[in-house]
Amino acid sequence: MQAGQRSRIAVALGAAAALAAGLAACGPRAEDQPLQLKGGVPVGAVLSLTSNANAYGQDQQIGLKLAQAWFQQRRNANSQKALELNLRLEDGGGDEATASQAFNLLIDAGVVALIGPTLSQQAFAADPIAQRRGVPVVAPSNTATGIPQIGSFISRVSAPSTEIAPLSIAKALQLTPSIKRAAVFYAHDDAYSTSETVIFQKALTDKGLKPVTVQRTQLNDQDFQNQITSALRESPDLIVISAQAVDGGNLIRQLRELGYRGAIVVGNGMNTPNIYPICQRYCDGILIAQAYSPELDTPVNREFVALYQKAKGGAIPPQLTAQAFTAYQVVAEALQRLNKRQPLAQLSLGEARKALMAELLGGQYDTPLGEISFTSDGEVVQQRFHVAQVQMQPDGRSGRFLLLP
Amino acid sequence: MSDLSLLVQMGFGALLALSVYLPLRCGQLSLATPGFYVIGGYVAALLSTRWPALSGDGAGYPLTSLALELVVAAPVAAAVALVLGRPVLQLRGIYLAIATIALVEILRVLNLNLAWSGGAVGIFGIPQPFAGPGGYALATWVLLALVCWLCARLEAMRLGRAMAAIRDDELAARCMGIPSADVKLTAFVISAVIAALTGVLAAHFLNTWNARQGGFDASITTLAFVVFGGSRIWLGPVLGGLVITALPELLRPVGDLRLILFGLVILLGPILFPQGLITPERLARLQQTLRRP
Amino acid sequence: MWPRCRCSQTAAAAVSCCFPEPGVVHLLQILINGLASGAVYALFALGYTLVFSVLGVINFAHGAIFTIGGYLTYLLIGGAVGANGLLASWQLPVSLPFWLALALAGAGSALVGLGVEAVAFRPLRQRNAEPLLYLISSLGAGVVLVNLVQLLMGAESYSIPASTLAALPSALAQGGAQIRTVQVLLLLVATLLVALLTLWLEGSRGGKALQAVAEDPVTARLLGIDSGAMIRLAFALSGFLAGVAGGLVGLSVSIAGPYFGIGYGLKGLGVLVLGGLGSVPGAVLGGLIMGLAEALVPAELSGYKDGVAFAILFLVLLLRPQGLLGKPVASRV
Repeated sequence: MQAGQRSRIAVALGAAAALAAGLAACGPRAEDQPLQLKGGVPVGAVLSLTSNANAYGQDQQIGLKLAQAWFQQRRNANSQKALELNLRLEDGGGDEATASQAFNLLIDAGVVALIGPTLSQQAFAADPIAQRRGVPVVAPSNTATGIPQIGSFISRVSAPSTEIAPLSIAKALQLTPSIKRAAVFYAHDDAYSTSETVIFQKALTDKGLKPVTVQRTQLNDQDFQNQITSALRESPDLIVISAQAVDGGNLIRQLRELGYRGAIVVGNGMNTPNIYPICQRYCDGILIAQAYSPELDTPVNREFVALYQKAKGGAIPPQLTAQAFTAYQVVAEALQRLNKRQPLAQLSLGEARKALMAELLGGQYDTPLGEISFTSDGEVVQQRFHVAQVQMQPDGRSGRFLLLP
Repeated sequence: MSDLSLLVQMGFGALLALSVYLPLRCGQLSLATPGFYVIGGYVAALLSTRWPALSGDGAGYPLTSLALELVVAAPVAAAVALVLGRPVLQLRGIYLAIATIALVEILRVLNLNLAWSGGAVGIFGIPQPFAGPGGYALATWVLLALVCWLCARLEAMRLGRAMAAIRDDELAARCMGIPSADVKLTAFVISAVIAALTGVLAAHFLNTWNARQGGFDASITTLAFVVFGGSRIWLGPVLGGLVITALPELLRPVGDLRLILFGLVILLGPILFPQGLITPERLARLQQTLRRP
Repeated sequence: MWPRCRCSQTAAAAVSCCFPEPGVVHLLQILINGLASGAVYALFALGYTLVFSVLGVINFAHGAIFTIGGYLTYLLIGGAVGANGLLASWQLPVSLPFWLALALAGAGSALVGLGVEAVAFRPLRQRNAEPLLYLISSLGAGVVLVNLVQLLMGAESYSIPASTLAALPSALAQGGAQIRTVQVLLLLVATLLVALLTLWLEGSRGGKALQAVAEDPVTARLLGIDSGAMIRLAFALSGFLAGVAGGLVGLSVSIAGPYFGIGYGLKGLGVLVLGGLGSVPGAVLGGLIMGLAEALVPAELSGYKDGVAFAILFLVLLLRPQGLLGKPVASRV
């Protein structure tokens, strides 16, 4: 083939694709079509089921499944004509592009609302897409600052670190008033950990405990002997950690193995039973502030815990699962209310999405997290937070988050 | 519109594949492409979020500003490539590959630590020059067509022939008076510019940019594009980039088996098509069959 | 244990009142820290380098085999699968002692290594394909293996119980510096493995044959050496080393999910090149240097740790491309 021909192919290739793109952009808008209610109201969820965020996605997936089962139970019990939801779950991977693509896919499929994505960094990429196309998003696990501020269609049920983090510091000081020297560790290549540590450090400084040392770790690190020996030279009596489950769990284990005996406060990233296999018996005694307590004594939480224990052989549900359950519940209840007021069948998809967002933000929800509502921004307003202490079984294999009064 | 946005991502894949392909055409296994992609992305993210004058009158981000970002990103990447290229390109084969991977990693660590990059959270709320993925698809594919045209022209030019000669036998090429160091550097710089331009579009398209973009995984994936598609003619990497980017998305219906199948394709590709999907011979044969009715 | 200071005014005072020579202790501690993390890198790189020495190509599935070694060890000591994989709640009917489980996991990983060779390497070798292709086919094999592990075992983390080393203290201290016992163990095993490997390579017929194939496959064939068998042997050994390393590192830091071994791939590659591609003692030396370089980064700059390691690698490449202990090679991809 001649080179001239090849370059002509190149131009033709580009022109064809550009034409295709232009044509596709001018098609009929799905937003103007009536809402498809066959098989239930379509709702989408995007969770990290692959990549190394998969442990979180897995916890969340169970939450959504339990919520579906719970609503089905209630529908059957009431035998009334409640709306049925048709949940479509897509893998959001661990990167921005995959989550965005999953958002696009589900929005095209005509969902009225989206639950997800798992990571805050993915939210910064995917949420603007939903915002531009006017699709309500309920984030079950994004805690970074600025998520609901992405736009009017973005909300979350995961309370931001600003609310929760300072509580555990206060509790540590209450338990051990003699604390004088605080050391801070955080995973500096992780968006969530870097925003949380700022809040922790401010909370410490507010209590007159300016950190004596701040150590940076990385998500992929598994050996922390460097940072630990360097921090222990400052002889701290309180260590505050912002990290994810695996690296944080290893950090705690190694801190204890290297002889640190003082108090340990950890952030929300380690708020999962996934830390038990990592730090094992050394998890014992760490303090953690929580947006969810399995011991909350309300009917809905008792039912949620029972469902979870039935599914997982008696284990105690983690916060991520409870928050995913809550996200589904919020969407489902808002849809029921909206449908009662203004039957969904009469709305176009675009109108339904808009009306749902208003309904969603206006409501009050009795969830496993307790009573919640939203600000006009879409930020969750939660009545109760908890501080828990990890209590491990003597065999060091399983444990629980014991609620502190 | 998910089809359109997939089309955009496929276009990015093809562009990055071409960026890896160019140095490879003169036998240089450089995996620095993700690094220049990251640089381009930061140029776009920083200019568009920190320089209010670019935002125009508020109704959408002006296309002229996007053009300006492209115009800024290209020489920045070219300058970095020029400075690094001389010492790095003395290395060969796997050593060059590892050295460029090291460079990408050093860049990632710098981006994590330096204040202006926003650290791990990165930069978000990057303004949108296009109302939807349609505009991005248009821009990406126009850029792709331009780069394809450039590559096709190159293959017919002296420079392209010199590159092929160096790939076949560098010593012989040098004996024939080809300034091999300059040729390799030129390919490296063009490769860097392509990657940076792609990064500019990608930063807007993704709405956010952070230190996790690019990196070791991206280095290997972009290399897979080229090996899978074929590294003898520019159509090879383009096809490889398009197919391998689209594959995980197209495999969504198979659910849990998605990435296992994806891995199988990557595994079997080189075994079934050791020269890549597209070779000049295969293309010529195809053309002959087409010509014969 | 780190001696607890009674007198805790300022940091400097606290240190000096407890230890007469804080500088020396600090330096010793850095050295120990470097050796500890370097041992893990070295363990990972050993099997990696073995395949390179024979075939002259990099096996990107090595990290996945390392992961599988960790999971096999966990299963063989009687661990149960979590609730999320296809094998949910499944458990082997046996519960072996750790060291036996580790050896068997190594054997299992050797089989996986042979499988990878048969699927991703042999077909290419038979066609005399470009080395670049092995990189991609083995990458594909790695992706398949990792996702297979997730499908079967779920994404949760698994631990080899800390009680495995119950009789030993959790850390050893010497003159104010200290190290986790597991890391000492890792260092010892790494040393032992490299010693055995070197002895075998240099002292036995099989080892010599392997080296001959590495040196020049054509001549080796003329000498009557079955190069295919030698390559399979290298993959089996490499798989064994990866599996044992996975089990040991799993003991030290738990198995963090299916991507457990993949995280070491990049640094392992660096270690490989630093020490000299294809050199067994080089892999160990490279690992230790990498560990030491990271340990020497002051705590305030620990964010730059990974960058420092790769900056060193970059400089070494520019000054001495064949690596520290590698033989100068004209050009080899």
